[in-house]
Amino acid sequence: MSDAGALPSPSVGRFGLAAPLLLFVGSVALYVGVALWTGQTKMLEAEGVVGLLQRMVALGIVAIGQTFAILAGSIDLSVANLISVGAVLASYVMQGRPEMMLPAVALVIIVSAAVGVLNGALIAWLQVNAFIATLGVGLILQGLLSASFTNFAGSVPKEFQALAYGGWGGAPFSVIGLFVLAALASVVLGATKFGAHLYAVGGNVEGARLAGIRTDFVTIGAHVACSLTAGVTGLYLASRLRSGAPWVGRDGVYDLESIAVVVIGGTLLAGGRGGVWGTLAGVLLFASLDAAFNMLGVSAYPKLVLRGAIVVAAVAVYAVRSRDLVA
Amino acid sequence: MTDQPLALEMLNIVKTFPGVRALDDVSFGCARGEVHALCGENGAGKSTLIKVLGGIYPPDAGRIRLDGRDVSFSHPVAARRAGISIIHQELSLLPYRTVAENIYLGLEPSRFGALDRRKMRTDSARLLDRLGSAIAPDVAAGDLSIAHQQIVEIAKALALDAKILVMDEPTAALDGADASRLLDLVRRLSRQGVTIVYISHHLSEIQAVADRVTVLKDGRTVLTAPLAEAPTGRLVRAMVGRDLSDFYPPRSTVAPGSPTLVIRGGTNGRLRGVDLAVRAGEIVGVAGLEGSGKSALGRAIAGDEPFESGTMEIAGKVVAFSNPRSALEAGLGRVAEDRKRESLLMQQSVRDNAALSQRAFANLLRSPNAAPMSTAATDERLKQVDVRAANFDQEIRQLSGGNQQRVIIARLLALDPQVLVFSEPTRGVDVAAKAAIYRIMRDLAGRGRGILMISSDLPEIVGVSDRIVVMREGGVAGELPGGAGEEDVMALAVGHDDRAPQMRAQ
Repeated sequence: MSDAGALPSPSVGRFGLAAPLLLFVGSVALYVGVALWTGQTKMLEAEGVVGLLQRMVALGIVAIGQTFAILAGSIDLSVANLISVGAVLASYVMQGRPEMMLPAVALVIIVSAAVGVLNGALIAWLQVNAFIATLGVGLILQGLLSASFTNFAGSVPKEFQALAYGGWGGAPFSVIGLFVLAALASVVLGATKFGAHLYAVGGNVEGARLAGIRTDFVTIGAHVACSLTAGVTGLYLASRLRSGAPWVGRDGVYDLESIAVVVIGGTLLAGGRGGVWGTLAGVLLFASLDAAFNMLGVSAYPKLVLRGAIVVAAVAVYAVRSRDLVA
Repeated sequence: MTDQPLALEMLNIVKTFPGVRALDDVSFGCARGEVHALCGENGAGKSTLIKVLGGIYPPDAGRIRLDGRDVSFSHPVAARRAGISIIHQELSLLPYRTVAENIYLGLEPSRFGALDRRKMRTDSARLLDRLGSAIAPDVAAGDLSIAHQQIVEIAKALALDAKILVMDEPTAALDGADASRLLDLVRRLSRQGVTIVYISHHLSEIQAVADRVTVLKDGRTVLTAPLAEAPTGRLVRAMVGRDLSDFYPPRSTVAPGSPTLVIRGGTNGRLRGVDLAVRAGEIVGVAGLEGSGKSALGRAIAGDEPFESGTMEIAGKVVAFSNPRSALEAGLGRVAEDRKRESLLMQQSVRDNAALSQRAFANLLRSPNAAPMSTAATDERLKQVDVRAANFDQEIRQLSGGNQQRVIIARLLALDPQVLVFSEPTRGVDVAAKAAIYRIMRDLAGRGRGILMISSDLPEIVGVSDRIVVMREGGVAGELPGGAGEEDVMALAVGHDDRAPQMRAQ
């Protein structure tokens, strides 16, 4: 059988780096432009840039996890509450004692993984809509937490604060950690069976099932990954705030903002297409926006307006583009 | 032949669904490398048989043997591992993933836990090469044409060393040239020793490619024969062969009136140059195979997926509908094909469902129960079409399919349309309700309405229509007078234009 018509050749740019790169360039241009315009050139030196990157850490970590959930065709609304749980649990168990660091971290990891399994099982096995399942689990977590703690509980030892404040040669551990995590996630998505199956489940769950993929395990795996990143974000916030309070996650609006940066980064909300570098570029855009508004000395509310507009505009652009692509 | 076990045998397969015996003692066998065509009308049991073979449905009784050994599949994956691959009619490729990723979906080779992309690429390229195709393994599947996607589907099916390949209407979405290339590919695979079960409505394809053919009808095997002994005429009769019962209402004796719906050169993405006229008092049946454009025709006429060129007239006035509302406004109503998805508000009452179109045209500030939509008026119309419900406040999802269909008809009648399009009017409806729906249609025609009945149910096309328009490949293949035989309709629908010499040849 000979092939009829022209055969397309591989085009990496279209599905690969184009969107993240564009976002990255736009974010940098925004940051540099505002710094120059306001004459705050100090922001362009190492210290300023590191500050910008540090703004990315908390949202960046959890958004990487959210990317997994969304790629699998799911979503996780419980991350903000789980972040609070992680932060409070860490600081409460540590109570300022360095020897409790390891048990506290282990506990947070275990609890997060368990929440991920719960979310995934509700969705994959009980067929609860992901939106509702994770919303419910999030409310339960928040309820339990708020019933037990009202304000900052315990504290983290100085050694643990190194996570947020320490670094190597000017590069904070937290920023290094974020990029290492992103690289790891990118490898998992791009070079492992789990990653391939994640894209398949998000793209066509029935097709994936008929191809022999255990789609339930894939969904659960994606949620475990997502919840683990929420737990790690909680640890990071505890380290930065030196303690954990039951409202740290909610105040950061990490649930909705993590979803927002994932879709800004070009991941389809329906799943099956996207990746972590886009998400990270979305986080950078939000961080640059924050920094730019700070330099301009504008209040927080116009920033919200702009963020909202960016989310809507990004999704609209992707929708129009994909209509052209897949006729 | 006798000492070598058949590659595939399905023996005395029975499968029942609530109320339906979908497969009744069906037996079916293929030798290695054989192309065995499976045909039959819609609902004859082809898909059920394939789903049993593919491990999607467990059979209630019967055996499946591969190379003489009994097998049973608990899961589609088990069937796939045993060497049975099914290419379903709807393509299932992931559009954003590469060709190689799609081919090895679920079977990804890996080294030390990491995907072995190089192996995926080279193996995919080899598979595609075996199929004589030069598709690059690295392109996104969504960038390929439908014909090329079909080739990728075949490569995917072969990835796990398939010995038995089931192709369900593989040419449904392909045009003539691509379809004939696909047939070449089927022959090539059979030469390579792959056993192929080829399901198709297109008798010309079957004649071109099959070694043997089996016809299913009403869940039974009615014919298995080498192709040489099964000329098209015999196949058609085997597929259709049944008597028309007398539950069709008598045709009108009055000559039809003036044309009430006229289409000239109706064309859009799925239709090309459709010419059609329906006169007042007439029921025109539209027949055609899946993908022939008959469903698209209903949607186009009713403004759902409008014509892009051509003209349409209703009662002599040129109209152009951009949406279903404008069609209703101009006096054209349509009973849509898929009741649940396109017509019913499942959680609402029978009465609310019946008043829906009227309310759509009522003044916004008007009470939804004001004059023409009043409970009494709506109930009157529901009684006219004989809707049986405990009461009209009942949720419509509790009604039978036949009663739901009547509610939809009542909804349209409230707007008093001049032309009514019925798309698959009796799909999923029992026999008694079918007869009632035919009577309603005949009655409407008797009162001067023009009726277009689009249907996949051949007996009903032949039994009800005053005139039959047969569609093929998006256009009108021909027109037949009322009372034409199912064979004639089928012959036009499958494009078997040189039927006459074949008939003589028998």
